[in-house]
Amino acid sequence: MKKLLLIALMVVFIAPTAFAAGAGGVARQNTGCGLGTALFGTNADGSSVLQAFQATTNGTFGNQTFGISSGTSECEQPKKFVQNERLNEFVRANLDDLAKNIAFGKGETLNTLAELMDVPQAERERFNRRLQVHFRDIFPDAKVEYAHVVDTILSVSSRG
Amino acid sequence: MHRRHAYPLLLFPFLLALLLPAAPATGAEAGDYLRELQASAGERKLHDDRYWDILLHYRKGWFERESLIDDRRFFLAPTGKKDPASELAATLAGFFQEPARKETGNGEEGQPHPRCRFPARFEWLKRRLSIDTSRLPEVSCGDFDNALRQINPKSASLIFASAHMNAPASMFGHTFLRVDSAYRSPLLSYAVNYAATINRRDNGLVYAFKGIFGFYPGYYSILPYYEKVKEYGNMDQRDLWEYRLNLTEEEVRRMVLHIWELQGIYSDYFFFDENCSYNLLFLLEAARPAVSLTDRKGAWVIPIDTLKSVLKANLVEDAVFRPSQARQIRHEASLLDDEKRGITRAVIDGTLPPENLLARDIPREDKVRILDIASEYTQLRYAQKKLPQEAFQKRFVGMLGARSRMEEPADPAPPLPMPDRAENGHAASRVSLSAGVRDREVFQEISYRPAYHELLDPGPGFTEGSQIEFASTSLRYYPKDERLRLQRLDVINIFSAAPRDEFFRPVSWKIRTGIAAKAFASGKDGTVYTLSPGGGFAWKNRFSGLTYLLLETELNYSRGYEKEYAAGVGLSMGTLKAITDSWKILAQGRYIAGVLGDTRRGQEFSATLRQGVRLSRYGSLFFDLERIVSPDVRDTEAKGSWNYYF
Repeated sequence: MKKLLLIALMVVFIAPTAFAAGAGGVARQNTGCGLGTALFGTNADGSSVLQAFQATTNGTFGNQTFGISSGTSECEQPKKFVQNERLNEFVRANLDDLAKNIAFGKGETLNTLAELMDVPQAERERFNRRLQVHFRDIFPDAKVEYAHVVDTILSVSSRG
Repeated sequence: MHRRHAYPLLLFPFLLALLLPAAPATGAEAGDYLRELQASAGERKLHDDRYWDILLHYRKGWFERESLIDDRRFFLAPTGKKDPASELAATLAGFFQEPARKETGNGEEGQPHPRCRFPARFEWLKRRLSIDTSRLPEVSCGDFDNALRQINPKSASLIFASAHMNAPASMFGHTFLRVDSAYRSPLLSYAVNYAATINRRDNGLVYAFKGIFGFYPGYYSILPYYEKVKEYGNMDQRDLWEYRLNLTEEEVRRMVLHIWELQGIYSDYFFFDENCSYNLLFLLEAARPAVSLTDRKGAWVIPIDTLKSVLKANLVEDAVFRPSQARQIRHEASLLDDEKRGITRAVIDGTLPPENLLARDIPREDKVRILDIASEYTQLRYAQKKLPQEAFQKRFVGMLGARSRMEEPADPAPPLPMPDRAENGHAASRVSLSAGVRDREVFQEISYRPAYHELLDPGPGFTEGSQIEFASTSLRYYPKDERLRLQRLDVINIFSAAPRDEFFRPVSWKIRTGIAAKAFASGKDGTVYTLSPGGGFAWKNRFSGLTYLLLETELNYSRGYEKEYAAGVGLSMGTLKAITDSWKILAQGRYIAGVLGDTRRGQEFSATLRQGVRLSRYGSLFFDLERIVSPDVRDTEAKGSWNYYF
């Protein structure tokens, strides 16, 4: 009888986590230089049970770091002479949201970009519209990388 | 500083006089000065000072004062963890360490110099003891200076992450800090987080055990705030509440100095008390020592409670709501009619290319909204790993390309409705007094539930359909027979009814395990241990509210059963409806068919109708009606409860 109970208990807890372990739980590294590479993956997906526990302890995989600046060194660097490291880092890490904001013509990520580029408040509206109109130049295809995005933004907005 | 002047020899003594005070302290003098400082510190009992406690995380333990930090590298004295006085003396001695290489500020063994490792301690001691830094070895702290410059602390916020829709345990919340700079955009700020580093191979049971008993190391980390927004808002689909703190620039700077000291230092992570939110309180106290946040009253610390104590300490200016991506999508979708929602679905699935959508004859605002939703949703799907990267890139760029051809419509969309603030919800613990009738027998009942929230509890501040309870205990007394018994002891009782629509298709689930008094035959109750997991679907509509249908299994153990156990499988169906803001109804029908063991008694049908009325933040009333039908049992029960939350 006791065995049955224990087995039931095990099944409840372990089976779903077995699925989760198979499904992933792999931390998505911050690698790659194009769209869909800037996800900060820390949680296993799938099993609600595991997720329930994780949500409580807010555990993370991997090393705890004081990541004050993320690296962009393994990617091709923008060509523009004016090297703004903070700008490059920001674009690389937020490329998906930036693409979205530029296409929408508005958004927090776009405002942040404008701030990093020292675009005065009075010119923001024009800046946003300009980038929106040139979306296809900035993001010409699915494989675009962040260096091209930065270069094109700078030239299109004539701030390069 | 050495000054080389091309003056004649006559001025040599003069030169000497100029040089001497400016020269770095040599051995003997340094030793004297150190002893002088240590004596001064001892006289003033600086090691008993509140700020020293804060910086070293000393707490009154069972027998003595002990630091909550477990990493030896945090202490310069071998007994530093338990001995504030020797730690202070050793810290002072550390400032006199000769740096191996001046430029990098490195001390022995490549470790940064104590002055660079512990800038908060240094600044405080320098102020209290009026330390003359020219009499200390010259050190430049490159890494620290760079970090401080990059972070550029000006103000701070406490960030509270609310619950994830299908994970009731996340209702406890999570807190972390944000340090703001001169930039206007909060995305350029830095988040400060305390979390356990877990082994990804650990399954749920091991995870829970290690988390509860402190077998994971906890670390503080600093990372760009945008990473946290992506993690919580985009991946986990959790809303963020940003509580702006009224700390001055000087206070925030002090806090950052202390955060730097905790870099790479671990502490055993206990998810009940020394958890993510508790450990942040030391940082706030380092900013403003007048505030007392780390003196714990209870046995456990829930993030929402730390938020409440920060609010109570008058540290908060205002709060900004940052909705998750899922919430935004739901809101936008609610503004479309069924037909347009269908079109959105087609764009998402790839059956309607975005270019073709543009050619369709539908209002421009709708096209804009459809593409907005489709792009956000595609991003979310990718974050949930439901889409491979190549497909994501192609679809995302395609949708956005089409969207970029449309200018923003003139009329702004109706704003997203803001939910109630988490701190306005009822408190975690609940005590209840009940009275009722069961088959014409009157009873009284008293219950206690340490944490946290059930479906019928007042809703504001909680996720609808999310329930999690620990150690809920009820004692019942039948005055006629003078019979007192343990009516119920639920070890855990979790239920997540997550509604499905055309965009989100979560699987609802439940699990309950505990002891309960069950009717075995008329007038006879037995004690049954039950384990009951279940899963299914839920939907929300205006008419019936939140409706769910679950497949359930139930394993019951009791000596009253044939073969001592009864296992069954069945269905439950119910609905939770809010009639008004303060009045909710929960109706459920449930049927379990006995499959193993005592299959006769394992069969049970139950129908319940429950009502909850919110009186205030501290109280509510419940009215329950239940009928249970089993081969030997026909039980009807009515109960009224008064609940108090504290």
